[in-house]
Amino acid sequence: MDRRGRILLIVALIALGFALVAGRLVYLQVIDRADLAARAERQQQRVVKLESKRGTIFDRQERELAVSLEVESVYGVPSDMENPRQMAQQLSRILREDPKTLERRLRSDKHFVWISRKVEPGRAAKVKDLGSKDVGFRFESRRFYPKKALAGPVLGFTGMDNEGLEGLERTYDKELRGVNGWVLAEKDAVGRTVFPGGPGFQYRLPKSGNDIILTIDEVIQHIADRELERAVTTARAKGGVCIVMDPGTGELLALAVAAAHGRPAFNPNEPQQYRSGEWRNRGVTDVFEPGSIFKVVLAAAALEEKVVHPLEKIDCSAGSIKVADRVISDAHRSGVLTFTDVIADSSNVGTIKVALRLGKERFARYITAFGFGQKTGVDIPGEIPGLLKDRRLWSGVSIGSIAIGQEIGVTPIQMAAAYGVLANGGMLMKPYLVSRIVEQDGGLGKKFAPQPVGRAISKETCAKVSKMLQRVVATGTGKQAKPAGYSAAGKTGTAQKIDTLTGSYSKKEYVSSFVGFVPALSPKLVILVMVDTPEGDIYGGTVAAPVFRAVAEQSLAYLQVAPDDAGGGMLLVNR
Amino acid sequence: MQTRTGDIGSFVFERGNRGSLRRVLAVLVIVAALLLYVGGKVKIVQLGYQIEALEKEKRDLERENRALRIEAASLSSPARIEEIALKRLGMVRIAKENLIVVKQQPKAAQRAK
Repeated sequence: MDRRGRILLIVALIALGFALVAGRLVYLQVIDRADLAARAERQQQRVVKLESKRGTIFDRQERELAVSLEVESVYGVPSDMENPRQMAQQLSRILREDPKTLERRLRSDKHFVWISRKVEPGRAAKVKDLGSKDVGFRFESRRFYPKKALAGPVLGFTGMDNEGLEGLERTYDKELRGVNGWVLAEKDAVGRTVFPGGPGFQYRLPKSGNDIILTIDEVIQHIADRELERAVTTARAKGGVCIVMDPGTGELLALAVAAAHGRPAFNPNEPQQYRSGEWRNRGVTDVFEPGSIFKVVLAAAALEEKVVHPLEKIDCSAGSIKVADRVISDAHRSGVLTFTDVIADSSNVGTIKVALRLGKERFARYITAFGFGQKTGVDIPGEIPGLLKDRRLWSGVSIGSIAIGQEIGVTPIQMAAAYGVLANGGMLMKPYLVSRIVEQDGGLGKKFAPQPVGRAISKETCAKVSKMLQRVVATGTGKQAKPAGYSAAGKTGTAQKIDTLTGSYSKKEYVSSFVGFVPALSPKLVILVMVDTPEGDIYGGTVAAPVFRAVAEQSLAYLQVAPDDAGGGMLLVNR
Repeated sequence: MQTRTGDIGSFVFERGNRGSLRRVLAVLVIVAALLLYVGGKVKIVQLGYQIEALEKEKRDLERENRALRIEAASLSSPARIEEIALKRLGMVRIAKENLIVVKQQPKAAQRAK
């Protein structure tokens, strides 16, 4: 081959080489482009989740009751782990996890396992000190309840993924949760995240959950919690409920639920430490036969229908009365009493005599008008409507039994709302716990106004019943409910519980209660106290009434309500 | 400028020189543009790292702030304050017999005096 031929050959080979490279480029850039681009994207890009912040729950003075905070969760990479047993033992000591369970997790062939989620910062720091490259950390949001057990059954709690599981956390989960966001970021050669910015930068900002302002006042809630717990402990009772409500609006200022004697109050920071029954809010989920505190419904209905006058004398001297086939007796035999004294002394005989005059048609109408047999609509999940038989199914004895608070099941919240009717001049108000929802992004949010359900009785009848209930506190069964410096009106209740074995009324188990309002002349608060199955002393007047007094005295002083009844100890001053 | 071939040659040479200059300038412009582009890209990446670092610092500070707020809320709980008042400071609740309710005299009665 001559020189020219060799040159041509070399040029041809070079041209062929270029052609091959060009062909490969065309293959990569055109034919295989989509697949390669997708692979590159997977390697270089990552979607970073931007977790929304769960809204805060505040009390009415905007003091934090439930707050979210980012804490670290610990994960492991079992596929890279050299000595899972040793690692499991080290981690179990720090994280207080079962070493065998941890080892089983770390021996799996997965690339990612949770070791412990949402750990305390101190423990996370100790795990970091181990310096293992096979253990990593990720921030996750955790719910904290800084006031611990305060209003625990009202607030409820959230699950591991921040979803509301109980209480207000569940009812308002959609409002509190917000919407997660994301950003499409790039990874560099060593895996660091780079936010590219500029045109084409893809992201969606997270929307924070809304904050919620409650009607609850943490100080009044604390007073109710403390006094109720003290009574339950003293009486060795199975639990109790104390509700404080503004009768004019239906706002709940406190809703205390006491656990059984010997059990700690429910703390939503550690719900797994409690039995599931202790999570529920007994103020709305449990029914009880109200006993004598229900007599005011009969009294209000009878006075409204003018079938009796407060000063009319009623003969209760027999000490018992036969209604259909049942004989109902008084706890203590009385003589001839005015209707006011029938209520003050809690005479069953006198109450039933008036109920028979009223008749079941009218009585049933007022029971419904006071809100019984239907849910109040309060914002806590699990509310039940109570147990109220249809009037057409009442037996011959029903009118007598219901008049004295038997054969009917009510929830504490229904009972508090019913006494609110007497305190506010006759209007049944819907009880509620959330006053405002505040949007984080400057939106308008929502404001909840008081909601009247309907007029139950007239203002005049309320005034008459109020005077009768003041008599209960002044000279009747509720003397221990009298708060120092304030007038009070209310009614005691001592109701026998149903013995589940015999199906009849128990001779040992009672529900002691007191419901009333203060100051009687210008009511600011309705307070209900219910103590379930006290031991020893069982009467509402001695078990529940002192709690009413303590809560009323302290709450009214805190709210700076001027005393209106100081008896002989009052001084008159110039100002 | 000195030439080897006189006026005509000089004319040809100068034309060739200008062409080279243009090519050099074109290359310089392209290189400068590429440098600007790459420099911009590098700057964006560096700013991305800075943003990430600042974002992390901001998140850490916010986290610390929230933790402190929770601690403050926890320390100001009524149960804790009450316990300190009663046990550590030895404060007591006012006894009923020590409570004197003072009522403001009605204005009409004040005027009568």
